[in-house]
Amino acid sequence: MHFYELLVELLLMPILAFVIGLAMVLMMRRIGARIQRRVGPPVLQPIYDIIKLYSKETQISHGLMHEIGIIMAVGGFIAAMTLLPVPGMSGLTDKGGAVTLAYMLMIPSLGMALGVGQCANPNGSIGISRALTAMLAYDIPFILVIFGASYVYGTTNLAEMVAIQQQQDVSSWGIVQMPLLALTALLILPATMGKHPFEIYVAPSEIATGPMVEMSGKFMGGLFVMQCFQLYTAGVIFTTLFLGGGVYWITFLPKIFLVVAIPMSVAYLFPRYRTEDVLRLMWKWPMLLGLIGLAVVMK
Amino acid sequence: MNELDKIPVRQELSVAEGNVKRSNPLANVFDELVRFCQSRSMFMLHYCTGCGAIELPPAMTSRFDMERLGIQPMVTPRQADILLITGYVSVKTLKRIILTYEQMPSPKYVIGICSCTVNGGMYWQSYATAKVLKEYLPVDIYIAGCMPRPEAVISGLRDLMGDIKSGRADNWKRYFQNYDHYLGNQQKLFGEDWQTPTDIIAEAEHYGLMTDQTLGEHTALLQKHQQPLEALEFSLGEKREKIQGENPREKNNE
Ligand code: SF4
Repeated sequence: MHFYELLVELLLMPILAFVIGLAMVLMMRRIGARIQRRVGPPVLQPIYDIIKLYSKETQISHGLMHEIGIIMAVGGFIAAMTLLPVPGMSGLTDKGGAVTLAYMLMIPSLGMALGVGQCANPNGSIGISRALTAMLAYDIPFILVIFGASYVYGTTNLAEMVAIQQQQDVSSWGIVQMPLLALTALLILPATMGKHPFEIYVAPSEIATGPMVEMSGKFMGGLFVMQCFQLYTAGVIFTTLFLGGGVYWITFLPKIFLVVAIPMSVAYLFPRYRTEDVLRLMWKWPMLLGLIGLAVVMK
Repeated sequence: MNELDKIPVRQELSVAEGNVKRSNPLANVFDELVRFCQSRSMFMLHYCTGCGAIELPPAMTSRFDMERLGIQPMVTPRQADILLITGYVSVKTLKRIILTYEQMPSPKYVIGICSCTVNGGMYWQSYATAKVLKEYLPVDIYIAGCMPRPEAVISGLRDLMGDIKSGRADNWKRYFQNYDHYLGNQQKLFGEDWQTPTDIIAEAEHYGLMTDQTLGEHTALLQKHQQPLEALEFSLGEKREKIQGENPREKNNE
């Protein structure tokens, strides 16, 4: 590939991801509002929030690590964006692959942990310990899913996976080939996005939004940006592994929005799980399903 | 014209120093964009001090839905833009309100909901309430009523949105500019050794908001009594009770 072409793609992919992520945040808030019989925020609300946060006059920093932590959180996602194939652009997909992506997606959580650690707020520390425990809970089924999918497609290259699924019609999609693994992925999706009912680490009324407790202004803005990437990543990974990925934006966009919408519409109906229950739940059902799914595809 | 219309609802303020239009037209557009976004996205910290708080849930949930206006509840002062004070403010509560207010990042706005925050309301004879909230904090908007209905709360918030958009809501600067006045009133209530962890004078210097009202006899008193902040010792059980007696800051809070 030409060098400049690659450069343009590397720039364009995170920007596109951010814009789509903004729309996803809006969709998420609207779904929540509809379920509670409210109207919900206006269309540009996510942008207003981010501009507002960056334009605060007081920017309270708790030290160098606090700032680096946020940069790691956002930067980890920006790097991960270049590993996700989207229609017409593949960036570094063929060099990275699914395993690198899985590693990349842990960097934001670790960055948050470092940043929050320096804030020295007990609520933040409780929150981050809960967040890392939850990460442990959903990462094992996630690795099972990635492993199973790579086994079925015979490659860890996400772009190739898309190509394989596109050879025939729907019957060659991952969701038909390995329905159990797809179900596993769907079950852990809300946990990877850190949304209801797995948002005990945020728990606004008990530990004052946990990791976010000392975040103000641009730090909070960074986290809002991170949330956009988070939703987008979840949608794209699922679509790439199981829903045939994307060749055209016109079919790709509905797929990723649908993937994010499903857990969102179910999520608001449940109360939160406690951390140990998250662990128990994640290591019981998704893991069981994932192992059976693996056994089925490897038989 | 109706007699009622003649009562001034808004104190007309001169344009504060910080808000002069910049000469570069692009910078002006940028300023307006920022102000617009600030007005359309307000995170509120509802400090539910009194009975007026009961009208906030309906204002936030399905009936009146504040999120339509971009107003969301937030839980820590660090994240909040507006501080809602919903009802009578007892002397002890006021200390917490001031601590909270000083921790909020500027630009920040205070809304006094309920008649009790305007003039003491039905608690005006009480020895235990701070009657006029704006003597202790710069209040941006009062929503009177005992208690104001959700419609009134939302209309008040819309007024504040208008003020922010036009750049008129700059009362947070007044706290820095007239710190001596506010501190004096606080000291009258809490005693002359009253202090908070936030260094308002340094912040005023940082923002360039020092005026001749910032420093005065009351801030001199503050500096005389100020103890450097130390981390509170963490301990459990019997030892804790012993320490409580010795800790000057604990004494201060009672
Ligand atoms: S104004 Fe009325 S409702 Fe509001 S705090 Fe005072 S007594 Fe309660």
